[in-house]
Amino acid sequence: MRVTFQEELDQLEASLQEEGALVLRVLRGALNALAQRDVELADEVIAFDDDVDRLYLQIEEGIQSLLARQTPVAMDLRLVLAMLHTNLHLERMADYSVTIAKLTKLVADVEPDPVLLQSLEDMGERAEEMIRVALDSLANRDLQAAESLVDLDELIDRSNRRFVERVVEIVADPGIREWVLRMVLVSRTLERIGDHAVDIGEQVAYLLTAEFREFTDASHPERA
Amino acid sequence: MAAAERALTLRGNARVRRRRIVNRLVEGVATIAALAAVAMLGLVVWSIAKRGAGDLSWGFLTKSLPLFGEPGGGIAPLIVGSAILVGIATAIALPVGVCIAVFLQEFASPRVRAPIQLVIDLMNGLPSIVIGIFVFGLLVYGHPQNGLAGAYGLAIVMLPLITRATQEVLRLVPSAQREGALALGASRWRTVVGIILPSALGGILTGTVLAVARAAGETAPLLFATSIYATTVQWDPRHALPNIPTQIFIWSESPDPADHKRAWASALVLMLFVLVTSLVARAAFVRSRRKLSR
Amino acid sequence: MTEEEDVHQTVTMPPMRPVEVAERQEAEPQARDTVFDIQGLTARYGTNVAVRDVNLEIYRNLITAVIGPSGCGKSTFIRCINRMNDDVPSFRLDGRILYHGADLYGDGVDPVEVRRRIGMVFQKPNPFPKTIYDNVAWAPRVLGLKKELDDRVEKALRSAALWDEVKDRLKRSALSLSGGQQQRLCIARAIAIEPEVLLLDEPASALDPIATSSIEELMHDLKRDYTLVIVTHNMQQAARVADRTAFFSLEVDDSGRAGVLVEYDETSKLFTAPSEKRTEDYVTGRFG
Repeated sequence: MRVTFQEELDQLEASLQEEGALVLRVLRGALNALAQRDVELADEVIAFDDDVDRLYLQIEEGIQSLLARQTPVAMDLRLVLAMLHTNLHLERMADYSVTIAKLTKLVADVEPDPVLLQSLEDMGERAEEMIRVALDSLANRDLQAAESLVDLDELIDRSNRRFVERVVEIVADPGIREWVLRMVLVSRTLERIGDHAVDIGEQVAYLLTAEFREFTDASHPERA
Repeated sequence: MAAAERALTLRGNARVRRRRIVNRLVEGVATIAALAAVAMLGLVVWSIAKRGAGDLSWGFLTKSLPLFGEPGGGIAPLIVGSAILVGIATAIALPVGVCIAVFLQEFASPRVRAPIQLVIDLMNGLPSIVIGIFVFGLLVYGHPQNGLAGAYGLAIVMLPLITRATQEVLRLVPSAQREGALALGASRWRTVVGIILPSALGGILTGTVLAVARAAGETAPLLFATSIYATTVQWDPRHALPNIPTQIFIWSESPDPADHKRAWASALVLMLFVLVTSLVARAAFVRSRRKLSR
Repeated sequence: MTEEEDVHQTVTMPPMRPVEVAERQEAEPQARDTVFDIQGLTARYGTNVAVRDVNLEIYRNLITAVIGPSGCGKSTFIRCINRMNDDVPSFRLDGRILYHGADLYGDGVDPVEVRRRIGMVFQKPNPFPKTIYDNVAWAPRVLGLKKELDDRVEKALRSAALWDEVKDRLKRSALSLSGGQQQRLCIARAIAIEPEVLLLDEPASALDPIATSSIEELMHDLKRDYTLVIVTHNMQQAARVADRTAFFSLEVDDSGRAGVLVEYDETSKLFTAPSEKRTEDYVTGRFG
């Protein structure tokens, strides 16, 4: 029954996964551009964001139309709402990748500090992994995978601490100061990307359990 | 608040009790009336049966009419004659009646329907002796008496019955059926022939059977059409056909008591025929109505 | 450039439910053929105006829904299209209904011919008291389409998603079927004569929710081969099923009450951002 409705849902979800794949490519592009100080690549990444935006809008309109016409309830409704939120998180992640690309362009002519760069690369890889896990947990309806995102976020935090230690070590050097400042912004941006991935995990948990919980509350009760 | 404190007894007061008595009284009167009607029919059946059953035998049904003064004999020619008369009458009245009913129900505009409906109803109430004289004047006067004239008379008696019954069944066919057929691109008459008439068939049959039961007992139209001189089985309707009702009349006028007894026996045969066909018709109608209404 | 290859590096993701992303359905409506061009349609019963001055076009292979509060003339409107109102004595029609350019109410147009091309399914299932086979075969026989009748019946029953359920009992009475099955039989009966258009007057309102759902699915399949116009008082049904929706409402003036066409647009638009306030009030349930 409601074959056409099911097909519409499946199509929307497929589009969302496609958007996720695009976001991963955008992020990887930005990270590569950063590591190799490649301005042309950075420009490509910025242009590529348009593709993500287009898909974002399409999914938004699709969800609006589906809600109006098919009046989904129960798990269908939670799926549609989860997709609505995930759509937004993915779009934000793409925007953050663009931010990284822009920052790269600003200081492309500066000789980077390899240690700092390495920890940024680590953080980037963590972020990528988190996006992958988040998308998979949605596709496979895997609650454990969704909840594991909290622990992965912890790994980014650890990389971030190493990053901060290194910054403190080298910030005194005037030649590299501006570059370091920009890289601090990059690290914050990567952290934000990780947060959005956790948010996607929360949406998956909501879809599967019908309860909305903030993951961070559960595992870090001492934090507000 | 005071009302809530008063306990609920649910027992009636005097007015309610009076109403109950009146109710029972009316029920009783209605029941007695119904029983009286049943008793009446029972009386008729019983008195005929008492007087006629004695002479009823297989021989009675199969032998030819006795000649004047002769004992014994049977009513075989009468049965054959009645059958032929009613058969021809049905063959005339059935198609004509159904066509009139179809016209009135399916095709006629309200302006046309009303007068024709009136005519049919008047025909229903026409005294059968008037029909008899009409048939006599039109078809028998100047010619020898013949069965066909009698059959026409019976047809006139049967026509309004069949028409009415057919109309009633046609009306029972839901208009949704008509709409469905029309929406398929079928023309009006195709709809009537293919969908409506087949649904109404049961009711038409019932109406016909009832009309047959009625016509079998009609005497007046036949009085002029047949003759008292026919004594043997006669198959040709162009001659006078002996038949049960007229013969009952003739025998009852006769001085011979044996004839009286034959009259009672014939009356019993006729009555049994009418009873059986009426019951059969009723059963068939109930069945066809169940099939139509879902 | 080697760096460019990095951008195009595809990330492996485990498989999810298989959906071909590439075969996305066309979202934009192409230029559609017009089947009905309705111009200034005003329908009256005696002095009562049922619908006034309706103008709209109905397109091929789409499902067009007509919604609105009761008494707004939806049923009258749809019955004008296949001339089913002809038998009502006081009925009068002004304006034109052009079917592929030909005026349906023109001189010399035979309503029987019209109804062969424009079929109708009614609110309460009305199968004939005949066998299942004869229900579907009656109209083709009567209209002279006697060749390969068995194939025709089977094709119609398949299209109505009923064949598998009845193929072993074609000679049984149609009245032995359930309500939903009877309605599908009526649909099969209508498409057995190969019309171009199917009009459905509240086809599911007498059915339970599961039967309703099966009829709605069936309509999605049917629109591949036919043009469908459906009247429904259930606007959620219109939302689920229709490509375009026409909203009728009642207008009261000194000459009385009449139904008018308020808005006619893509269903998605009508239910997310209607242009008319009256439409918005109706679909949000605040009125009517």
